[in-house]
Amino acid sequence: MEPLSSIQQAMAFAWWVALGVCVLLYIALDGADLGAGIFSLFVDDEHERGAIMASMAGTWDMNETWLVVAGGILFATFPAVYGSTFSYLFIPLALALWAIMTRAVAMELRHLAHRTRRFTDLAFGLSSLATTFFGGVAIGAVLHGYVLTPEPGHTPTYAGGALSFISPFSIWTGVASVVAVTLAGVLYVRARFEKGEPIREQAARWTQAAFYVALVAVVVTVAWSAVEFPWAASKWFSSSAWVWALFLIGAVYAIVQMRRATTQDRDVAALLWYHAGAVVMGVAMMATLYPWLVPNDWTIFSGASPQLSLTSFTLAMGSFLPVMFTYNAYQIWVFRGRLSKFHGYHH
Amino acid sequence: MSEAGLTTLISRIDFAWITTMHILYPPLTIGLSIILFLSEWRWNRTDDEKWYRLCRFFERLFIINFGAAVATGVTMEMAFGILFGRFSQAAGPLVGQLLGYETISAFMYEAGFLGLMVFGWGKINKRMHLFATFNVALASTISAWWILDANSWMQTPTGVVLKNGVFEVENWLAALLNPDSFVAFWHIEVASVELALCFVAAVSAWFLLKQRHVELFLKPLKIAVFSLLLIAPLQIFIGDSSGQLTAKHQPAALAAMEGHYRTRLPNGEPNTSWNVVAWPDADGHGNAWSIKIPHALSLLENHTWNSAVPGLDTIPAADRPPVVIPFYAFRAMSAVGTAVFLLALWGAWLAFRGRLSVAKVCANRWFLRAALLGVALPYLGIWTGWWTREVGRQPWVVYGLMRTADGVSHMSLTLAVSWLVGFMAFELMASGATFYFMTKVVRLGPDLDSPVVTDGPAHEARRLPRFAAMPDRPTPGGMAAFTQNHE
Ligand code: HDD
Ligand code: HEM
Ligand code: HEM
Repeated sequence: MEPLSSIQQAMAFAWWVALGVCVLLYIALDGADLGAGIFSLFVDDEHERGAIMASMAGTWDMNETWLVVAGGILFATFPAVYGSTFSYLFIPLALALWAIMTRAVAMELRHLAHRTRRFTDLAFGLSSLATTFFGGVAIGAVLHGYVLTPEPGHTPTYAGGALSFISPFSIWTGVASVVAVTLAGVLYVRARFEKGEPIREQAARWTQAAFYVALVAVVVTVAWSAVEFPWAASKWFSSSAWVWALFLIGAVYAIVQMRRATTQDRDVAALLWYHAGAVVMGVAMMATLYPWLVPNDWTIFSGASPQLSLTSFTLAMGSFLPVMFTYNAYQIWVFRGRLSKFHGYHH
Repeated sequence: MSEAGLTTLISRIDFAWITTMHILYPPLTIGLSIILFLSEWRWNRTDDEKWYRLCRFFERLFIINFGAAVATGVTMEMAFGILFGRFSQAAGPLVGQLLGYETISAFMYEAGFLGLMVFGWGKINKRMHLFATFNVALASTISAWWILDANSWMQTPTGVVLKNGVFEVENWLAALLNPDSFVAFWHIEVASVELALCFVAAVSAWFLLKQRHVELFLKPLKIAVFSLLLIAPLQIFIGDSSGQLTAKHQPAALAAMEGHYRTRLPNGEPNTSWNVVAWPDADGHGNAWSIKIPHALSLLENHTWNSAVPGLDTIPAADRPPVVIPFYAFRAMSAVGTAVFLLALWGAWLAFRGRLSVAKVCANRWFLRAALLGVALPYLGIWTGWWTREVGRQPWVVYGLMRTADGVSHMSLTLAVSWLVGFMAFELMASGATFYFMTKVVRLGPDLDSPVVTDGPAHEARRLPRFAAMPDRPTPGGMAAFTQNHE
């Protein structure tokens, strides 16, 4: 491909930032929904499970839209990366998609199902679990990178086997995502239900354990990356190590604040601190990767479309993302109130 | 067939299967949202409660359909990269861009106003609600434009050059306004309206057959019938224009659609016979048998009595599309177009004879049954239309520029087959569930008891932020949860 002009390089960079924002927003927003779904697997009362689904009724669709938008940006701006990475991730993505669809259908149809509620609830919980796990596996597999096969006259593409996404690291990131997302779900349930509701109290009991397991998962992931990936280690332990120290301090601060908020029953604050921590770590990860999009395969610039145009860029950045952002924030604000389980069924 | 060839075939079927299941839902979204807007507008103008009850009732069906469209649609977006990775890499600069626009205009814009439309009843003033419904309708039509633009570019790819394996856009205007774009868009837009009208007619006919809410449902039935009287011929006209375009830009596809192998007869005269039904012979060089009408092909394609229409023999063997699917699918679609028009004529004739009055309508049982079953017609038309179009484009994924075999991802046969099995299972389940719950909502019937919403307190009408506060009786579930549930 021809090299990009400097304006195009700047646009590719900005699109990359936008992509990161969308992915992070998706992880933060839908993460809490998915975690609540995983949590619902352990909730015995049918009405309480219903209440969990009802609590996200107005927002889950919009939260998921960030994933669609991220996919759109990837396809439009980094088509070479989209085409090869998605073939590489065939199995985890197909399974995650399957789960996402099952989850949507289970939620949409639960209130119409009467005899089959046990089934819709189980489908909801398991599909939340599967989405999270395979999403996490996909992230780990991308960090691992893949072998690109050059094709004469074509863009290099993925021609390896379907199973090469599997590595101890990618399986681990799958597990770690489940753990981290479960914590988000527990915090979400605490924040969304009236104090004193049994379901909120169950979530409160879970918090401590979920917190420590998630903490261990994060530490292990970071340490493992340092050992496994030269591109990460060389950045972290370089002369600019202080930058990474700042990220670390930021993350630790957010985690400590989250813990304090949970012990003081400030549930919304706890959830927000969780998100803050996740954002700090996400940004740190992107900064570590830079300029790679997929380590050793695609940089932001080698994977970008030769066709980046200022018009569509301005259109999207200037109007679309801000509007969508405002709308999503507004929606969450509208639905922020706490619920009681009696919202779980009509009467 | 080689293993690579077989894998390519299966991945085409994979993609065909998920698009076929996706296209079940969007047309109803597009068409019904327009109808919902018009009905709500009538309610605003006339203050007639009937319009309000009908809107609320059809909106519940709309939402179930919408959920299924989203679930199957998310798969579509990812499937381009998963199944057709090399096509995505090459065509991404254009096709990815257009799907990006669709994301903007449909998913953001529509998701926003859909929230207002579903949650907003009684929380925002009537005008504002009408405005929300209007925007939902507009957004889904805009979405159809972008997606069809991407697809029509694949049929008539103008404005690009292929450089180093990537389609670079030289002329955006030429690419966006490619020769097929307008007709393709209007054909599906009108198909969507046609489908939604048939849908409304079928649901209404069901109530009339059961003699339930006769007065309420007579109105939409009559309106649907009279609208179809205009829409059905319009669709036939647009379909004919579409055929003209195919003849001009994709002679191979047209020849396949008509099972037209020989351009000239052995005596050198143009071969102008049109095959009504036919079956290709084993080696694929002609028809084993056919029933044909002389001169009809020339009339249909060239609008002349006796001129040559290029047959498959003018196309190199490697570039010929399969014949059976385009040939029969095309005939099925044309039959559907005609049948819907006949149905509308029947209804109009009954109305003209005064038999569609509250007192007499339920006696026309055969017509009502036909209207009920008629809902299958436009669905079938849309399916067969797409099959004609997509199979007729073969062996190209981007007509004349990129072969389908060069567009598929490298994957194993096992993988391609597992995808098919997995998504078949899921999408059959999803469409089964959608159908089941739609019929359930229909059986429950419209809610005639809860009070008609008003503008709400004056201060609330202007202060939007409270529009979506939790409804009085929330039920678990997704957006559909907020439609009333009364059992
Ligand atoms: C209610 C649905 C419906 C009905 C009644 C018709 N069509 Fe259609 N047809 C479609 C739904 C459709 C479609 C789903 O909308 C397609 C596929 C893609 C597209 O743009 O339109 C299509 C494609 C399509 C094509 C292929 C265009 C191409 O290859 O690029 C032709 C030639 C026609 N149609 C012609 C007709 C004719 C002559 C009809 C009337 C007798 C007709 N259609 C009725
Ligand atoms: C924007 C809209 C669409 C795009 C961009 C698109 C693109 C594609 C692509 C990339 C393929 C695989 C390569 C090929 O076999 O040609 C394909 C195949 C196919 N698509 Fe579409 N498609 C679109 C809409 C649809 C819809 C809505 C249907 C609905 C029924 C459909 C039916 C098919 C079929 C039947 C095939 C298989 C063709 C064959 O195997 O011979 N397509 N399409
Ligand atoms: C083959 C390519 C297609 C792709 C990749 C695709 C993609 C999508 C996606 C991702 C969604 C869900 C959006 C959400 O999350 O809200 C969706 C829904 C929808 N699609 Fe498609 N689609 C395709 C074909 C079509 C066609 C041919 C039409 C219409 C003619 C269409 C019109 C719509 C509409 C109206 C919806 C309903 C819901 C909505 O707009 O969000 N799509 N599509």
